[in-house]
Amino acid sequence: MRFAVILLILLAAVCSVASIVPQNKGEQWYYGSYSEKTASLILFLDLDDAYHSWWFIAIGIFLCVNLLMCNVIRIPQLVKKHRRYTDPASAGSYGCDVQASGIGDPSGIFGRLGMTRVTEAKDGSGREILFASKNAVGIWGAWVCHLGILLLIVGFGLGQMLMRQYAVYGVAGQTRQIGDSGYVLTIDDFSVELRDDDTVDQYRAYITVKDSSGQSASSEISVNNPASLFGMKFYQNSTGWAAAVSVYKDGELLQRDVICAGEYVTVSDLPDLAVYFNAFYPDYILYEGRPATASGRLNNPGYLYSIYYRSQIVGMNVLMKDEKITVDDYTITFDEPQNYTVIQIKRDPFTPLAFIGAMVLILGLFINFYMPARIMWAVRGEELVWSVCGYSPKGGSIFRDEFEKAIREAAPEA
Amino acid sequence: MSEMMIQAENILFTAVMLIYFAAMVLYFVYVAVKKEALARTAWILQVAGLVLHTAALICRGIGSGRLPLTNQYEFATSFAWGLNLVSLIFIRRFSFHVLGAFSSPVSFLVIGYAAMQSREVHALMPALQSRWLGFHVSTAIIAYGAFGVSFAVGLIFLMRDRFTARGFMDQHIPDRETLDMIGYRSVALGLLFLTFTIVTGAIWAERAWGSYWSWDPKETWSLITWIIYMIYLHQRVRNGWKGRSAAVFAVIGFICVIFTYIGVNTFIPGIHSYK
Ligand code: HEM
Repeated sequence: MRFAVILLILLAAVCSVASIVPQNKGEQWYYGSYSEKTASLILFLDLDDAYHSWWFIAIGIFLCVNLLMCNVIRIPQLVKKHRRYTDPASAGSYGCDVQASGIGDPSGIFGRLGMTRVTEAKDGSGREILFASKNAVGIWGAWVCHLGILLLIVGFGLGQMLMRQYAVYGVAGQTRQIGDSGYVLTIDDFSVELRDDDTVDQYRAYITVKDSSGQSASSEISVNNPASLFGMKFYQNSTGWAAAVSVYKDGELLQRDVICAGEYVTVSDLPDLAVYFNAFYPDYILYEGRPATASGRLNNPGYLYSIYYRSQIVGMNVLMKDEKITVDDYTITFDEPQNYTVIQIKRDPFTPLAFIGAMVLILGLFINFYMPARIMWAVRGEELVWSVCGYSPKGGSIFRDEFEKAIREAAPEA
Repeated sequence: MSEMMIQAENILFTAVMLIYFAAMVLYFVYVAVKKEALARTAWILQVAGLVLHTAALICRGIGSGRLPLTNQYEFATSFAWGLNLVSLIFIRRFSFHVLGAFSSPVSFLVIGYAAMQSREVHALMPALQSRWLGFHVSTAIIAYGAFGVSFAVGLIFLMRDRFTARGFMDQHIPDRETLDMIGYRSVALGLLFLTFTIVTGAIWAERAWGSYWSWDPKETWSLITWIIYMIYLHQRVRNGWKGRSAAVFAVIGFICVIFTYIGVNTFIPGIHSYK
């Protein structure tokens, strides 16, 4: 157990350091934010990605091995202890934590301490006794905790290693591949539900997922309400604005694409010319000289765009409704602003294992703290009076107080 | 209707603060002048405060149309509520009124902190619309309350020797062994509920963000707090760390709890900062 405590101290220390150092910011960021020495130390010790560093994983593995060994080794001991706690013959072999003598009828004391199953038996030295035990299972509390934490860490670790995650984004009507999973996802509909005060009430998407054999399943997803389809979980993750970009040449529609803010289109018959959709303002205003939005509603749509020719920026501006951009023979318009959705997709078959581990841990804690094992036995003395003895390795002074109270109430003669 | 409820909550909140303050002063006077009757009056005041506090939370719940457990103010006031609830239970269970003199200042500080927060009612952003948030925060309230009590018991343990010289306190502070056991009991309660808090938080995060554990600073600090109490339990079994060492640990553990609660939001940015 000493090693376990050392590991726990180490874990707490490492976590506290890692919680202060921002994680995964890229080498440059650390050199920019700390002194040269500190930054190199952080990078040398992998503190920039502490929770995935080899030494952090090593601590986890040591902890698991330690827990497993500890639990395996203790099984025979605990089985033996459990038997002893339920076996009247062992009654005499404990010391008494609590004791009272001169009792006429001990049954009330047993009852008051919640020991309903009292058996008549003989103790180790052959004396006739009344024996009862309660919460013998309580001795397994720590063992169950250890099992729970072991399952939890293993479930978490396997999940981290083997989990697959994807993200798909698009507007209603679009169909996208889900990474290399072999599935395709169609966004049937997506809406951002606003309240009267303009705050977001919910992001809601309707999706259909198809596998390679053509089987499909549909579901609604919103924040806090993911869907499980084909063994994967689909989350409504975030959103942004998209719009349709149309390119006309000599008045004729050349192409029309729906793109998200942050994306660009190249003109099909002049690939050197690109239109970049920088940002979108649904309710455009100029605020302190910068473009901004007054609300989330589509009152006055403004599209911030830039035009690139041969990778050189040649123009940048905000385009309002019914305005056009003209570049030589080409005319470009933006319209149909709509929200796109980012859907996060995860396949982690080990989440249930971690969850079971957590439940087992909670059960173990409950058993450990609230089901203290106790045994009591009463030995008949001369003149038909009994002396009562109780033993509870974890009960301590509280057991003593309860016992004394039971004696006061049930056998004041003691 | 909802306006009225929020107004009622405001009035009740002020009343609760005053009552808790009065109870705290009475507990202090009880320790100073050693009059039993004062302790009983303080206890009754504390119960009255808790009843009104419950009413205040219910008013806010009705007024805002949701569980009142979603921002810094609501959590602080609920935390004070939990601390009072758990301390009342422990005071009664162990006939231990001196505990009130130590736990009431903590809960008064917490409710004072609540009073400094913005009390505006905001509609919830989508990520916070989850019943798991309700479980997460309500279990945290009990956990924090129990750790607050263990902190108070720890302080009493550490200061016990100064009191015992005066005789009266000897009768009104449990013996070392019982005091240690009360401390252990409160840590056990806190740890069980902290585990619930972390697990329900993980379930909520899994549903809202698609990942049940992201090493966000607040998550990490609740884990650190949890580990510290685990170290304490193992040291109890291994080295028989009882009494003084256990009391010191209870004090350190609660400092971690407070850091997780306030410090992390203040000093380290992360997913929980909007709370
Ligand atoms: C994060 C990891 C761990 C957790 C959550 C945990 C949990 C617990 C709990 C709750 C107890 C009961 C303490 C009490 O009754 O006050 C306990 C006891 C104990 N733990 Fe752990 N433990 C962990 C790691 C370990 C490891 C790695 C070992 C391996 C040596 C270990 C060995 C023990 C032993 C020997 C006991 C005493 C058992 C008894 O009283 O019956 N623990 N542990």
